[in-house]
Amino acid sequence: MKFFDCNISFGASMLRPIRFAETATELLDEMDYFGISEALVRHARQRDDSPTVGNEILLEEIEGFNRLHGTLAILPLQTGELGSAETILERMRAYQIRAFWAYPAEHRYLMTKTALGPLYDLMVEQSIPLFIEISESCEGLTGWHLIETVLTDVPDLTLVVTEHGSWGQDRFFRPLIEKYENLYLEISRYELDGGIGDFCRKYGAQRLLFGTGFPRWNPGGPILMLARADISTKERKMIASGNIERILKRARL
Amino acid sequence: MHGHLGPFQGIYFPNPSPEDMIRTMDRCGVRIIVSSSHASLIDTKANIEMTKVVQRYPQRFRAYWVVNPNYPERMQRELSEFAETDGFVGFKFLSDYHKYPVTGTGYEPALRYADEHGLLVLMHTWGHSSYDSPSLVEQVAERYTNLVLLMGHSGYGEWEKAIQVAQQYLNVYLELTAAYSVNGVIESMVRQAGSHKIVFGTDLPWFDPHYGIGCVLFSRITDEDRHNILHRNAERLIKPYL
Repeated sequence: MKFFDCNISFGASMLRPIRFAETATELLDEMDYFGISEALVRHARQRDDSPTVGNEILLEEIEGFNRLHGTLAILPLQTGELGSAETILERMRAYQIRAFWAYPAEHRYLMTKTALGPLYDLMVEQSIPLFIEISESCEGLTGWHLIETVLTDVPDLTLVVTEHGSWGQDRFFRPLIEKYENLYLEISRYELDGGIGDFCRKYGAQRLLFGTGFPRWNPGGPILMLARADISTKERKMIASGNIERILKRARL
Repeated sequence: MHGHLGPFQGIYFPNPSPEDMIRTMDRCGVRIIVSSSHASLIDTKANIEMTKVVQRYPQRFRAYWVVNPNYPERMQRELSEFAETDGFVGFKFLSDYHKYPVTGTGYEPALRYADEHGLLVLMHTWGHSSYDSPSLVEQVAERYTNLVLLMGHSGYGEWEKAIQVAQQYLNVYLELTAAYSVNGVIESMVRQAGSHKIVFGTDLPWFDPHYGIGCVLFSRITDEDRHNILHRNAERLIKPYL
């Protein structure tokens, strides 16, 4: 089965993980060890540093590695640091970048339509997904409350929520899954016994995406969990790679 | 070596009953689980319910008797009940939730009893907790050398201290529930404390055992280490209770 990891990071971060990959080559070694074919990647500097620095580092590091698909960290366009929506799209075309990440806590911005409206318009018009960790926050809004606020503002946004934690979150996310058809969950911490099977029986497999959260989390967990989940082979393949490939192909550059 | 049973407050469980858990265990190759019911974590009067589960499924379940030091007036009666009841391997402490330090006097009767009888004591442990950090577990381990202390969650987050305590005290083990998910932790534990001091757990019905098993299987350790962690150490520890 092909594993396409939608949540993987490399590079030296301010807080050193116990184990990590510093370069794209080291990351590929890690992926080979775990049997992961392709990955949507981010660089630690995209979060820990300014996106103006981190995005460039990522683009440079992954150039020529066709198993690694890049992402861009966003900022409100009003400061001009990332250029205009048009220049961002041009850059994405040039490097075949098909996804964004948001780090509102570290980069200090609001995720409202006032702050991110032009970028949200771009994401919706071009079907470009936005990724965000559930641990993110901005000015008092955190977790699923933040996610619901974003989706209330931009209901057609393709939003992928990652690392939603080992404490049960179904009571939080199921109402949102039912309301927002472009909300997706990355499963690196969906450890709930029977959770994936139960979710698929109710909502189908198309809303779940395989991710590992490397280097913070042990990829062996989600790999074996998904490989042995009580779901059909077709559903397993969708979660392992099919869904993220469909989402990325849908992005119009 | 770390399971529960039944519904709980802050989480939706698809598979909370004993029968559900056995189906999961069969699917994942888990032979037997040692559990404390969620109900008994809240009210220790429910401890006795686990006897029925062990009696119904003697090949699949053993139990921990939950000790809640916030009800000291129950302690002597509960220790007598424990002594008269089959199916339990020792005690479960949930100090972070009961807001009572493992070093507090309220736990002493249970610890003395466990020490006298060489019982297992599974403690929920968490890094830098004022109730059950690895440093507090160390103080207990210094006083009680005949019981077996299982550090549930391996003092999550305070890895170096937890590993040092497991390495230093013969009767202290690292228990992997939730800890296994942190990339590289299992390798550190094996390297420093040795795989003979690590036991496997899942918090079932919380976590899919395949998740934890995958973390162990994919860790960069030897097959001997994997066997020690996944079954050999547990088999040795619960042998007197089978």
